[in-house]
Amino acid sequence: MDREYIRFLARAGLYAAVYAVLTIVLAPFSYGIMQVRVAEALTVLPIIDKSAIPGLFIGCLIANIVGGYGIIDIGLGSIFTLIAAYLTSRVKKDWQAPIPPIVINAIGVGTYLAILLKTPIYWGIFWVGLGELIACFGLGLPLLFFIRRIRGK
Amino acid sequence: MAIEISFGQYLPLNSPIHRLDPRIKLIAIFISIIFIFIVKNFYGYALLACFLLGLVILSKVPPLYIFRGLKPLIFFILLTFALHLFTTQGTVIFQFWVLKGTIEGLRNGLLMVARFMLLISFSTLLTLTCSPLELTDALESLLSPLKRIGFPSHEIAMMMSIALRFIPVLVEETNRIIKAQVARGADIESGGILNRAKNLIPILVPLFINTFKRADDLALAMEVRCYRGGEGRTRMKEYTLSQSDFLFLFTSIIVGIVSVLI
Repeated sequence: MDREYIRFLARAGLYAAVYAVLTIVLAPFSYGIMQVRVAEALTVLPIIDKSAIPGLFIGCLIANIVGGYGIIDIGLGSIFTLIAAYLTSRVKKDWQAPIPPIVINAIGVGTYLAILLKTPIYWGIFWVGLGELIACFGLGLPLLFFIRRIRGK
Repeated sequence: MAIEISFGQYLPLNSPIHRLDPRIKLIAIFISIIFIFIVKNFYGYALLACFLLGLVILSKVPPLYIFRGLKPLIFFILLTFALHLFTTQGTVIFQFWVLKGTIEGLRNGLLMVARFMLLISFSTLLTLTCSPLELTDALESLLSPLKRIGFPSHEIAMMMSIALRFIPVLVEETNRIIKAQVARGADIESGGILNRAKNLIPILVPLFINTFKRADDLALAMEVRCYRGGEGRTRMKEYTLSQSDFLFLFTSIIVGIVSVLI
């Protein structure tokens, strides 16, 4: 079996674990009414490591199963994370990496929450988007720069 | 900031529900959840709630655990209820400032609350009676027919098992890093939103460096133990379907159909 294939599996599994741990551990880390999912900072990773694509998907799946946030999140939430992770892996510049997760999750998650709750769609998009914006640009991008510096790429 | 985590919520008890095949449990709960979305009136929800209650009693899980699953969503549920109560047009039953509560809104709101509570309770029951590894096995087994069209069901299950196995380790590690950084003077609990986010970086970076190292070690360990992917791999525990599995599945389908029809 290919050595790279095993490394890919191991890394993806660990990214998933980190995502799930950060979501579960820091979930009560609330900022008043609005909550920021810190683990979403990891969504910038696919730009440097392709194994983060399935990793984030599985991490989100586990986090949503374990966290007790209901079945709607389990399916749709992880699929949107997967789409965003794939798009992030295709962007060219570092500063663009947080854009797919912010846009996809704000529109995707915001919309399905709004439809589910029959609330105005812009309301859902705004709050989900703002939370993502803080996690991805505020935390994700600095994290990406740090990792690049550590790995010397 | 001390971290307490009750991971997986799994309650290892010896009950008929715990002994069911995890694949059947997954399918049956999934079917019930689909029916929750189809049901349109209170009778249907009442029947589903009775079914849930029966399952909880059979599973010997203290009902308090089911309520605990609802706790993080209380605000969300109340907000939904209020939105329905005040935004639905119809016969006004009371007025508070500019907000008008209607009878139709009250009905819609209560239906939504019932739907959410049932959805969450059913999925909580699944995670309480099925260990995360059983769930992963069940998922791999259910997705295996998709292998023919190139779906990587074994790989996904493998990554999930790795993740589940490392979650407790990483929780402990995150805890240790937080303590170490706080001992060095890091302040992670004060300041505004942006400041707090920025203060998490000294925790995320060491966590990441360790994760990369762990992933490399794990890959090496898998390689020297001759891991070769899903082909020809056997399991320590094989699942076999029994009569009670079929009975459970059949009952969930019947309850679902009746709850839609009444």
